[in-house]
Amino acid sequence: MTRSSAWVAAAAAVATMFGVAARAETVHVTAAYYSDKTGPYFDKIAQEFHAANPGIDIKVDVVNWDSLLQKLQTDISGGTNPDISIIGTRWLLDFVKDDQAEPLDGYMDQAFKDRFIGTFLAPAQIGGKTYGLPIAASARALYFNKDLFAQAGISAPPATWDEVQQDAAKLKAKGIAGFGLQGKAIETDVYWYYALWTYGGDVVGKDGHAAFAGDAGVKALTMYKSMIDKGLTEDGPTNYTREDLQNLFKQGRVAMVITAPFLINQIAAEAPKLNYGIAPVPKETTSATYAVTDSVVLFKNSKVKKAAWKFLDFLFTKQPRIDFTKGEGFLPTTKAEAEDTYFTTNERLQTFVKLLPSAHFAPTVTGWEDTAKAVSDAVQSVYVGKAEPAPALKQAAGIADQALGK
Amino acid sequence: MRAVRRAAPLLLILPSLLLALAVIGYPLYEMIRLSLADVSRFGQIRGYVGLANFARVFADPVFLSALLRTLEWTIAVVGGTVLVATPTALILHQNFWGRSLARTLVMLPWAISLSMAAIVWLWAFDGDHGMVNASLRSLGLMSGNVQWMARAETAFPVEIGVGILVSVPFSVTILLGGLSSIPGDIYEAASIDGASRLQAFRFLTLPLLRSFINIAIVLNVIYVFNSFPIIWVMTQGGPDNSTHILVTYLYELAFRLGRPGPAAAVSLVMLAIVFSFTMIYVRLQAREQSA
Repeated sequence: MTRSSAWVAAAAAVATMFGVAARAETVHVTAAYYSDKTGPYFDKIAQEFHAANPGIDIKVDVVNWDSLLQKLQTDISGGTNPDISIIGTRWLLDFVKDDQAEPLDGYMDQAFKDRFIGTFLAPAQIGGKTYGLPIAASARALYFNKDLFAQAGISAPPATWDEVQQDAAKLKAKGIAGFGLQGKAIETDVYWYYALWTYGGDVVGKDGHAAFAGDAGVKALTMYKSMIDKGLTEDGPTNYTREDLQNLFKQGRVAMVITAPFLINQIAAEAPKLNYGIAPVPKETTSATYAVTDSVVLFKNSKVKKAAWKFLDFLFTKQPRIDFTKGEGFLPTTKAEAEDTYFTTNERLQTFVKLLPSAHFAPTVTGWEDTAKAVSDAVQSVYVGKAEPAPALKQAAGIADQALGK
Repeated sequence: MRAVRRAAPLLLILPSLLLALAVIGYPLYEMIRLSLADVSRFGQIRGYVGLANFARVFADPVFLSALLRTLEWTIAVVGGTVLVATPTALILHQNFWGRSLARTLVMLPWAISLSMAAIVWLWAFDGDHGMVNASLRSLGLMSGNVQWMARAETAFPVEIGVGILVSVPFSVTILLGGLSSIPGDIYEAASIDGASRLQAFRFLTLPLLRSFINIAIVLNVIYVFNSFPIIWVMTQGGPDNSTHILVTYLYELAFRLGRPGPAAAVSLVMLAIVFSFTMIYVRLQAREQSA
């Protein structure tokens, strides 16, 4: 390159920079870190979107789940929050109460609403308004290790809790930890709700009171505790987080674990030889699972709402959705992606999809986090033998009622 | 004229004094304001509620047990640190082959961030693959695995041990500094007078080292009392709140449960405790000097 042409090129580069800067709007997006695929996915989407809309820049921040809420909390207090963020749908109420989230109904037409599978849009609707779009959805089911089952002479996955206990006893006789029970950190409560719901109980009743300390709750917790006492779970459940249990399962050191569909992708990457199957959550009287959505919200104080909406519109079209859901191992939230053969022919994922009609979502009520904490504390105290099921749950219900404002 | 001269030093330090007051004062002011308010998760003040946040915190049994446990934690970690650091510093003060290597090894843990150290120890105490269980098994001290973090009875002592371990390098540094300030000739004089080594330690080293030990205690109390990463990384205050100290309880209150108001109240209580401890120390120092 000659000197003069270099100058021309530099001048042109400067000119384009200024030209774009004068027109460009920047949309700041905070995304949750789901896996090592999350960052590259959003970078790619941002680029594609920018190529189609040169006037809009997308800046993505990927933040660890554990610190996401804290980061948003700090950002919002300081007025430096992003325009769009992924949040846990169960946090949404706090955002709405503080008038942080923009209602999206004004931006959506019927065709846009129809893109979504209705079950997943509902959790982010509060007081008749939609505040979030479901970007990720998951449900829970029972993963079982076929090889370990074969060693203990078990041919089919357990359908009831009685069968879980019988199978775990057979596995124990072979020196294998049968049922993986979570007792540490976030979602300790959820792991017990599986049993609670299938015994016909509920966490929060229709009247808004804590309902988990009822008959079903006591039975469910007594059942879990008896499994610990008989050695049908891994040793010391209060030492195991959800990730720890998943790791045990990947290593073939526990035969059953209840968790979300994304474990499928993890196993494929980390333990491809593991011979496993997926079955519905064992039941007692009713069939149940826990379903979770994460939502994308638009902040009320955003100055680039139109541009941000345009990005959301793009994010929820078919191909970006398929890429995301496939990469992270979630369930489809839009109808178009659900029709893709990757999902329709995937037997394992279909097990989860079929459970959705009986799914419980975390209710959007004030005090849900406190309720979760109270329940986690109560079940932990029972797991370590410090308290009996009935009084522990009753005490937790008292704390929960206070938090629920009842 | 005289008045001006007397005021001159004060005037000279006034700018930095004001800066210090602003830096310390503003957060304190914010904290007091939040502690008296009904604050939403995102920092919006919905109204002032007087001392209700304090009442709520003091009525919480988890707070009270965390308060007691904080005292246990602080006393155990600081006491343990001094007990380990003093002999370590004495040994490292001796002249022996490889001393600089030994000194480096003792100081090394200091270079590791607390959270990293806590994670490493969490792995070491892992029930299934941990090096601690493996070592105990291969030594034949036990047959099965111990799930260290599953119960407070084992988890909390382990956390205290890690706390001691990470506090030792800092304390050793202070004590080594103290030891090098003791002149060598007094030992010669003492040995000529027929003092045994134990006597020399009791009547020379210990009294001369005392003010350094005091400094180590005070600084460690302040650090350890507020030390968050070890417990948060290893047990998050669980199971069933049985390993919470005030600072982890505070964090959970503020960021898990989204209640900045009561959290601010807790942090003021913590400030008062640390402050009163410092005051006691200053009083003790003053008495010692006048005596």
